[in-house]
This record gives sequence, C-alpha cells and structure tokens, in this order.
Amino acid sequence: MLLSFLVDTSRCRSLHNRLRETSLRKAEVNMSVERSMEVSQLLAKAELLKQGAEARLYRTRFLGKPVIVKERFSKRYRHPALDEKLTHRRTVQELRAILRCRKAGIPAPAVYFVDHSTHCIFLEEIVDSCTVRDHIASTQQQPRGPEQLERLAEKIGQMLAQMHDEDLIHGDLTTSNMLLKHTVDGAESQLLLIDFGLSYISALAEDKGVDLYVLEKAFLSTHPNTEVLFERLLRSYTKASKKSEPVIKKLDEVRLRGRKRSMVG
Amino acid sequence: MHLTQELEVYSDHKVTQLLFKDVKNAAELRQSAVEGKISGALISPTLVLNPFQVLVAANKAVHLQKIGKMKTRSLFSEIIFNLSPTNNISEAFKRFGISDGDSSVLVVLVHNKGNTPPLSDIVSRVNGQQVPVDDLSSLSDTAKIKKFFKITPQEEKIGTLLDAVVCRMAIKDVL
Repeated sequence: MLLSFLVDTSRCRSLHNRLRETSLRKAEVNMSVERSMEVSQLLAKAELLKQGAEARLYRTRFLGKPVIVKERFSKRYRHPALDEKLTHRRTVQELRAILRCRKAGIPAPAVYFVDHSTHCIFLEEIVDSCTVRDHIASTQQQPRGPEQLERLAEKIGQMLAQMHDEDLIHGDLTTSNMLLKHTVDGAESQLLLIDFGLSYISALAEDKGVDLYVLEKAFLSTHPNTEVLFERLLRSYTKASKKSEPVIKKLDEVRLRGRKRSMVG
Repeated sequence: MHLTQELEVYSDHKVTQLLFKDVKNAAELRQSAVEGKISGALISPTLVLNPFQVLVAANKAVHLQKIGKMKTRSLFSEIIFNLSPTNNISEAFKRFGISDGDSSVLVVLVHNKGNTPPLSDIVSRVNGQQVPVDDLSSLSDTAKIKKFFKITPQEEKIGTLLDAVVCRMAIKDVL
C-alpha cells in the first residue's frame, strides 16, 4: 500500500517535471519565432509620442492613413516566457475590448493591423482631438466653462453606463483616457474611450463599482474643485444604466475601504 | 486603370489591384490561378468595400509570410483568407475568392518595388472590361457586407463601415 503510494508520487513528480520541460521548451520555441524586423524599423523612424510603464505610443502612417502604434515592450526583470505570455494576453484583451466597445456603439479607435510578434497595435489616429483632461483644465477658467463641463460630465456618465451595461470594465478610467474629437461643424464633439490595456469582461457590480471609484479618485485629484461635476457624472450614469443601483451601492462600499477588498476574516 | 500602392511597413513590397467587370471566363481564370499560371489573388468584389480593405489583407499576408505564420499555403490564398472576418478557410475562399459564375473580378498582385507586375498578361487573360479600381464600391453589396461582417447599427453610428470591416479583419485571429 505504502509502496504503491510512493510509486505514485514519484510518477507524479516525473510527470510534473516532464510537463515543466515541455512548457519551457514551448516557450523557447515561441521566443525563437522570428520577430518582424520591418515593424521595428518603421517604429525607429516614427515619432515617439508617449512612453508609459507598459507601452510606447508612436505616430506614423500606415497604408496612407495616419495611425498611432502602441508597442508593448518587454520587461527585462520578468522571466522571458512569462513576459511573453503576459504581454500577449494584454494585447489580446485590449483588442477584444475595443471591438466589444465598437459593436456596442461606444466610440473607440479602429484597429488596422496587429503584429503579435512585436506586440504592436496599429490604431486609427483620432485627428483634431484633445484629452478630456486638457479640455476640463482649459475650460474651467472660462466664464461659461462650468455649464459646458456639466454637459460633458453627463455625456461621460452615459457612455460609462453603456459600457458597464455591456459588462465591460475599462480598468483604467481617467480623464486622460478619454478623448474629445472636434467635429467639422464644431457644434457637438464626439467622446471616445482609449487605452483598454487593463480592461476585462465582468458582470459583477463590485468590478463596476471599483471602475467608477478609480475614475473618481483620478478625476478629483487631477481637477481640483470638481466634486459637483463628478456628482453630476454619477447621476447621469445612474439614470442611463439599467443596472446602476447595485453598482452605486458598491461604489459607496468601496469608498469606505479602498479599491482592494479586505482580506481579513 | 490599375492601382499600385506601397505597403508602408514592408516598403520593398508593392500591391497592385486591377478591377474587371462583365467577365465571361471566370471559370477559366480560376483554373489558371489554381494551376499557378496567374500569380495573383482573384477576388470576388461583392464583399469588398474599398481598395484599403484589400491593402490591409495584403499587408497582413506579407507580414505573416515574413514571420512564417501563414494559415494557408500561399501568399495569395492568405490575402483571400485575411479578407474574411472568420477563421474558416473554406468559407473565406467561397465568399471572397471568385466562383465560376462571377461576372466581376478583382486581381491583386504583390511584387517587389523594382519589378513591374505582368499587367498586360493579366489583362489579356481576362475576357472582360477593365474599370478603375475606385469603382469597387459600385460592384460591392453593402447590405451583404453588413450581414456577413455582423455590423450592428450602433457601430455604424460611431464610425465608417470600412473601419468596422477592417477592425474585424485585423482582430479575427484572437477572437
């Protein structure tokens, strides 16, 4: 009995080792897949717009159209196999979220080309646009600014309600991740969501509450004296979303404890 | 008549498109493409909205060929496959490749920057009338495109039909 148990564990272990070997080998194979040199060369000539913790943004042209290329670079401090997997995962998540948004009628930049070997996404460039962050900062000073911003806050609330009703969690809601595109007639500007790198699908009120909490924190810290404005945003969210009641309740809960759930008890 | 564009990422490659209508020998053309006598992709224009759509498919095909990750056997079949929003190869050929009874055809050639493509050879093989590639929109069926690419009315409000189509083509391998 005991013997058979021992045999079993040793078999288990050898199986485990074998699995590990194959997965490592697979990772090696994955890494040896040729990287697209041409994409790297293109980016070397392109204009670097921004660099974040996870990706670099370039501006260039692609098949005759102005595009923004989002390149997720590798992190040297991570194990190469793990790094490859995480980066790929995030690229895929971002792509799926963009398509889901667009299908639901939430404006997000179109994707023209994806290079999975260098983790680059070629996105439509939103020309003639500015971030909501810059817009709020500049409009706040103007005499008729507050009125205008109230309308904008309502629009943001409606858009987020629509997004959450599709069970899409953005994961990084800030006013810098929203763009205002000036339309030709100049009357109504279009509101767009960008940067879906941390987004995922969830129907939980908890996740939606945290999403709003993240925005609240970012909103109030980047724009001083906008408590009333954010209140307005939440009210329009509540009105527009079909499932807002549990979300707002969760938001109140999250405000008390912070973004992370308490692990005590 | 024909349209030649450079692939910006693969700047040594060029893509040339030729459009024909009132084609009478589609079956023969298809046969010569299968036998390799025509080195180009023969596409049925019904589901193709704009030359940009073909360019995106060609760019992706060249890219996948370079990194050795093509899903089909040749560059030209890969272009046809890339036009489709699904990952079903035979369906892509059925919808986007030419069928024996088709009366219009879009020929797509990929060549190096220095080389001139065998345009006259293609033109002599097709028994039909060559028209400017920009006439593509008059030969395509918008209602069919919306149905096949499953484009929702909400999506049309926020952007162009072309963007919606291209977006699906670019993302399809991770859906």
